[in-house]
Amino acid sequence: MSTVTTEETFAHPALFYRSEAEYTDRTVAFVREGLAAGEPVAVAVPGPRLELVREGLGPDAGDVTLLDMTEAGRNPGRIIPGVLRAFADAHAGTRVRIVGEPVWAGRSDAEYPACAQHEALINAAFADRPATILCPYDETRLAAGVLADALVTHPTVIAQGRRRASEAYDWRAVVARYNEPLVRPPGTDVLAFAAGELPQARRYAVDRAASLGLAGRRLQDAELAVSELTTNSVVHGGGSGTLAVWAEAGQVVCEVRDAGRLTDPLAGRRPAQPGQIGGRGLLLVHYVADLVRVHTGEEGTAIRFWLGI
Amino acid sequence: MLDVGPLSGRPGIRASGEIGVSTRLPWENALTELSRRHTDVSYVELSGLRFVDVAGVSALALTAMNLPVGRVVVERPPPQLPRVLDLFWPSLHRIEVTPR
Repeated sequence: MSTVTTEETFAHPALFYRSEAEYTDRTVAFVREGLAAGEPVAVAVPGPRLELVREGLGPDAGDVTLLDMTEAGRNPGRIIPGVLRAFADAHAGTRVRIVGEPVWAGRSDAEYPACAQHEALINAAFADRPATILCPYDETRLAAGVLADALVTHPTVIAQGRRRASEAYDWRAVVARYNEPLVRPPGTDVLAFAAGELPQARRYAVDRAASLGLAGRRLQDAELAVSELTTNSVVHGGGSGTLAVWAEAGQVVCEVRDAGRLTDPLAGRRPAQPGQIGGRGLLLVHYVADLVRVHTGEEGTAIRFWLGI
Repeated sequence: MLDVGPLSGRPGIRASGEIGVSTRLPWENALTELSRRHTDVSYVELSGLRFVDVAGVSALALTAMNLPVGRVVVERPPPQLPRVLDLFWPSLHRIEVTPR
């Protein structure tokens, strides 16, 4: 019996594990099953876990795409376009198999809501696509609430070696629950901008970010990302917005607010096709930032991104 | 804001200032003109450009992709240009960038 059937077009099981040995056994078995079926296989997990998988696979590791998720998926919002869809689209027409571990002990309180929303949105991004994505969860080190969320974001769960359907599965509920209001630190300077004032808004962000310690390519990335967000405000978000830049815990945070509402939950998470004319702005922000958080509702939209100093 | 026009003495265009949402039209018109006159190698001289946004780089990339032959040499662009090309068109051989 296989641990994961491939009857469904898209399969998205959570794997609850309790030890390194169990982790290695189950992920390696999952990978070998894919290799035996001729499926392209990728493993995107945190570095130390990646070494377990690599050692467990031995020479077969050479047939697998191995990625350190703490780098490729540092910002959870870029995992769908930059890791999962990137791999699936590179093997279009073939069923692919991926181990993806976006949630690990040590994810910050600011990161976790983005992690949970990412896990939920995998279901939307891969609906009817031929893929199996196995998501390991460290049962001994992750909070009970995180494990409970995994039951809501995965239609299937494998725990203690047994595979069962998750009765709590309801991914839209997690997207909605973590659409949390974003509160700026008290006393933060805010710059209002309108159409025709985007160069000034961009320069304000660059000056602020540089004075807070951002430099080099990271400063250039901040400039690009602020340019894209403020442009979206002017073009799609009611024609104007506000911008704020501050520092917290070794990172620079930039936030753009406007009166628009984001209705597409996968906005910024679809890989761009080479010939596509527009629609790369929010995707760019996801690619360059260490974290992106969004709050959207009747009152407007706030998009915040973090860049390590 | 944006000053854009044909190069003198060789095929292509030069642009200085900034390329963003309010200067998109003259930039795209200049690229259309470039592709209309393109034969083998066209040049885009950007040493006076301070900033280009993602849509501005996209317009350049799509122009180059749609050329029937040859290539576009982009001279001394601001750092956003190679960054965005590398993120979205990592293997676009029709564009050659000479750094600042």
